[in-house]
Order: sequence, then structure tokens, then C-alpha cells
Amino acid sequence: MGMSLSRLTEKTNIWPWLLLAPLGIYMLVFFVVPLADVAIMSVTDPRVSLANYQKVLTGALYQRVFINTFLTAAFVTLCCLAVGYPLAYLMAHSKPRTAMLILLLVTMSFWTSFLVRTYSWMVLLGNNGPLIAFLQMMGIEQLPQLLFTRFSSTLAMVHILAPYMIMNIFSVMKKIDPALIRSAESLGAKGWSLFRHVYLPLTAPGIANGSVLVFVICLGFYVTPVLLGSPREQMIAGLIGHQIDEFLAFGLGSAMAMVLLFVTLIILTIYHRRFGLDKLWG
Amino acid sequence: MNTFMRWAGILVVIFIAAPLVIVVPMSFSSANSLQFPPPGYWFGYYRAYFTNPDWLIPTWNSVIIATATTILTMVLVVPATFALVRHKFRGKSAADVMMLMPLAVPHIVMAVGYYSYFGDLGLVHSHLGVILAHTCLSVPIAFLVLSANLKGFDRNLERAAQSLGASPTRTFIHITLPILRPGLIISALFAFVQSFDETVVAIFISGRDAATLPRKMFDSIRQEADPVIAVISTLLFLLVMVGIAAPYFASALRSRAPKPSRPPAGAH
Repeated sequence: MGMSLSRLTEKTNIWPWLLLAPLGIYMLVFFVVPLADVAIMSVTDPRVSLANYQKVLTGALYQRVFINTFLTAAFVTLCCLAVGYPLAYLMAHSKPRTAMLILLLVTMSFWTSFLVRTYSWMVLLGNNGPLIAFLQMMGIEQLPQLLFTRFSSTLAMVHILAPYMIMNIFSVMKKIDPALIRSAESLGAKGWSLFRHVYLPLTAPGIANGSVLVFVICLGFYVTPVLLGSPREQMIAGLIGHQIDEFLAFGLGSAMAMVLLFVTLIILTIYHRRFGLDKLWG
Repeated sequence: MNTFMRWAGILVVIFIAAPLVIVVPMSFSSANSLQFPPPGYWFGYYRAYFTNPDWLIPTWNSVIIATATTILTMVLVVPATFALVRHKFRGKSAADVMMLMPLAVPHIVMAVGYYSYFGDLGLVHSHLGVILAHTCLSVPIAFLVLSANLKGFDRNLERAAQSLGASPTRTFIHITLPILRPGLIISALFAFVQSFDETVVAIFISGRDAATLPRKMFDSIRQEADPVIAVISTLLFLLVMVGIAAPYFASALRSRAPKPSRPPAGAH
């Protein structure tokens, strides 16, 4: 590539294509084709028809799983917001040292494999875990089943996805000009009204970014719901895996995968039109 | 509002920190099931991890796969990033979006595709299959990091070198590459970590022969919750701590303001 630098700097037409070609061909063969394979299987397996989609879109089981997935993703997003906003606020408005320590903690959580974090929640919520022990100490007779329920998988997903929300909101909060807050105060805004009319709107872009990201990741979440959730309340990804793994029902699994992909892409496309996709992960 | 936010923030800190630190005492536990606090402490599960091929082979597989994925990703992404950042051409914005597409597709969808497609090609249950799949997933992450670096590149430095008589090759090797090195290292690191952590695609296509560490952990958590997982979790957690602390110490030595980096998100 070194030899091409002088031509690289010119605006000729052939060079960018030559540089892009290896990656383009690779992505075509190992990304687009397998994805197309899913689309094709969804209408050809076991025979050519739209029966898979009909089943997936009208069957009671599938509808329940889709609705469950949607509600879970929405709930997890709300929880991440409830958890992430105060923490981002704490980070943005405390001494640099404290802020650094919290940022370090969030970064650490972010980088820790989500299998590790899922496993931790298994320990924390297990029947021999600290939470149950605490409840026993409080003298509660009927100990609830915490593990393998909707509660445990939701809690772990909030923990795993919260860093995305926190990072996004924090990056917006720390850029807020304190003069804006001061001038609002000097104009008489205080307390809730200051927050509601000045601070909250200023942080809205961070909230939007974080929420879209958390919601979209949660929609397709496989590992944590499968390991921690109730087998009776599966999410889409878990059910897709189940169809492929247990029943080798590639057509049905593919049709569900296509619906999941379609919904995800619609959300991201709307986001892309308004804000630009590169900002989401930037 | 202020004090409320403060207290809520402190609670959240505990919520985030607790699951991260709990694996450490668990890994020294002498109990043979999930029990916290542990009834006693020993190193038995560390010995179990470091002597059991059932755990060591997947660890080794993960290292090989992540290394190969990183190399392949960088070979493909570096030239493409130069094309996309430094050139204007027709279809560029479409190419930009295409680069990010693997981030938008849920991993379970790709897992179904690879399971079937690589099955046809005879690539399931092989290291090569996992490497080829992981490279697709690492491409957007490496691209995002590298293109951010390349956009901030002051091209006057290259022009200065060339006006002083350096050939384009010399300029590239002595000016462009050294300046870009931190960006290249970070983007390679992100590619490595995404492959090392990737679970869903690995579960479906790695099989027994090429089983990665996350796949082995997933199976183990699902079946018996082997306490060795606490050992691996602790070791992975330590690795993350070292990885995050290293730039801090490095920058502290150079007495510059540290700035923790964050990877772009992947769809788990």
C-alpha cells in the first residue's frame, strides 16, 4: 500500500475501489451470503412456501414470545435509564477523582465478558446465595425462587446493558455548558422545573442514543435469557436457537430470525435517518 | 433533586460493582456448588482449571481464533479504512453503512446463517469457520476505531515529508504508520476482544473440536455450573483490570491526562 500513497492522495477513481475490494469480496462471501441463506431458508425449508412466516406471525406461541421480547426489551431499556441517569449525573457532577473512579468501574463492567456477569448473577441470586440468605435472616418464611425467572434474567440484562446507557448519557452531560444552568437559575428556574425544562432536554440526545442501543441489543439477546431466564418465558433469540438446536427446524428458525432482523433494522434505520448510524457506536 | 440523584447514584455503584467482585471469593471457595459466602477457602479450583484439558483446550482455541481473527480483520480493514476516509467516490456513504452492518444484525441471526452455510461448505466444527465468522463481526469495530483515528490525522505531516523529498513509501513507513500506531493497536485489541468474548456464533458453529472458552463456559453454566467457572471469571476479570489499568499507568508515566477507552457496542 505504501507505493500507492501518492496516487492514494489524488482523487482518482480506481484506487479506493482497489483498496476496498478485498474487504468487499470478503464481506460478500462471509457476511451477505450467509445472511441471504437465512432469508432463503425461511421460504424454502422444508418446501417453497410462506408457511413459516404464517406460522411465526399468527401462531399463539410465537406471538407470545415476540410480545414478551418486546416488553422485556422496553422494560430493560427503562430500567437502564433509571439506573444510568443518576450514575451519569453523579459522574458529571462530582470531583474529578470520584468521577474517574466511577468511570473506571463502568468501563470495567463494560469490558467484563457478559458470560462472567451472567454467572455472577447466578451466584448472587442462587438458592445458596447472599440474597436468599439475607431474606432468611429477615425471617421471611416463604422464600421466593429468584433464579431462572423473568426477574433474574431482567436484572442481569439491566446490569449488562447499563454501561451502554451510562456512557452515552455521561458523554452528553459532561459537555453541558454550566453557564446554561446558571442563566436558567438566574431567570428563576429551580428544582424540578430546572431539571424538567433545562437539564433533561439538554441530555435528551444521550438518552436517545443509549435507549436505542440498549433496546436493539436486548431484542436479540441470547445468552443471558437462556441461562438465567425461565424456560417458559423465552425471548426470540432463545426460541430461534431452540428451533435450530433441538428440532433442526431451519425454516421456522430462519423465519423468526428474519422477523427479528427486520424489526431491528427498522429501528436502526429510523435512528440513522435522524441522527446517523455512526454516532450510535462512536 | 441533587441529593436524591447523589444517593441513587451511590446505590447504582453498588449494583454495578457487586457482581464484578463476587466472583473473586467464589473462585477460592471450597464448596462444590454455588454457595455464597463460601464455607471455606482453598486453591483447588485453580488447580482444577490449570490441569484440566477440558478447560485448557477451549482456552487455547480461543487464543488461536482471536489472534487469527485479529490479523485477518486488520489486513482487510486497514486498506478499506484508507479508502473510505481519504477518498470521495460514488457509493461511499453506502459503503460506510455496509461496514457497520454486522453490528446491526443480531448475532443469533448470523449464527443461524453460519450454521447452515458453513455446514454446506464443511466449515462447521473447525477453527477456520469460527475465524471467518468472527472476522465479519470484528470488521465494523476495528473500522470505527481506525477511521476515527485516521480522520484526526493531520495530513500536512505527510505533505511536509514529501516536500522534503521523501518518497511516498518512505512517507508511509516513517510518518503515517508511526503516527497511526496507537489507533492501529487499539483497533486490533478491540477486534481481539470481540472474538475472544463472542459467544452466540461460537455456540452454534464451533462444535467440540474448535470449542471456544465462552462456548465451554456457556455449556458448563447450563449443565452443572462447575465452580471452575468462578476461577475463569476471576482470571478474565483480572485481565480486564490489567487491560484498563495499563494505559492509565502508561499515561501517568508520561504525565498526561488519562482517558479510558470504550469499545463500540456489539449485539450480544
